[in-house]
Amino acid sequence: MFTQQKRYYPYVSPYDPCAPIRQKFYQTPPELYLGFQPPGLPQYSAREALARGTLWPALYSPYGKSSREAQR
Amino acid sequence: MKPPVPQEYDQWLEQLQTVDFVLTELQLYLDTHPSDPQALQQFRAWTERRRLIAGQFEAQFGPLEATGGARSLHHWDWVESPWPWQV
Repeated sequence: MFTQQKRYYPYVSPYDPCAPIRQKFYQTPPELYLGFQPPGLPQYSAREALARGTLWPALYSPYGKSSREAQR
Repeated sequence: MKPPVPQEYDQWLEQLQTVDFVLTELQLYLDTHPSDPQALQQFRAWTERRRLIAGQFEAQFGPLEATGGARSLHHWDWVESPWPWQV
C-alpha cells in the first residue's frame, strides 16, 4: 500500500540566510500508483463525491491537509 | 432592484452542481473506458436526472443558459435578472 504523502530533508548549509526548513513534504496521490483504472471500482455518493473531489474512494487524495503544521 | 432569490434557489443550484460533477467524472472515465457498460448506464441515468433537475429549476427561476432554448414565445426571459452567477 502506498502513502499519500512523502517527505525529504533538504540540506541545511551554515551559510543559509534564513532559518532552515528541516523537512519538506510532497504529495503522492493515488493516480501515480493506480495505472489504468479498472472498471467497477466502488463509488462515493454524489454529494460525498462533490465534497471530496472524486467519484472513486480509490482516487481520493487528502492533499496533505494534516502535514502543514509539521513543515518546520 | 429585484428582491433576493428564495432560499431554495441555492439548494437547487447545489443539487445541479452535484449532478454535474458526477457527470463530469463519468465523462472523463468514459473517455478512457468507452465501452464500460456499467459506466455508460450510470452516465445515461445521471444525464436524465440532470435534465429533470434543470427543467424544474428553469420552470421556477428562469433559464440557466441563454442558449438553453427560449421557452416563452413573447418574451426573452434571459434578460430577467439575476443570472445564475450573479446570485
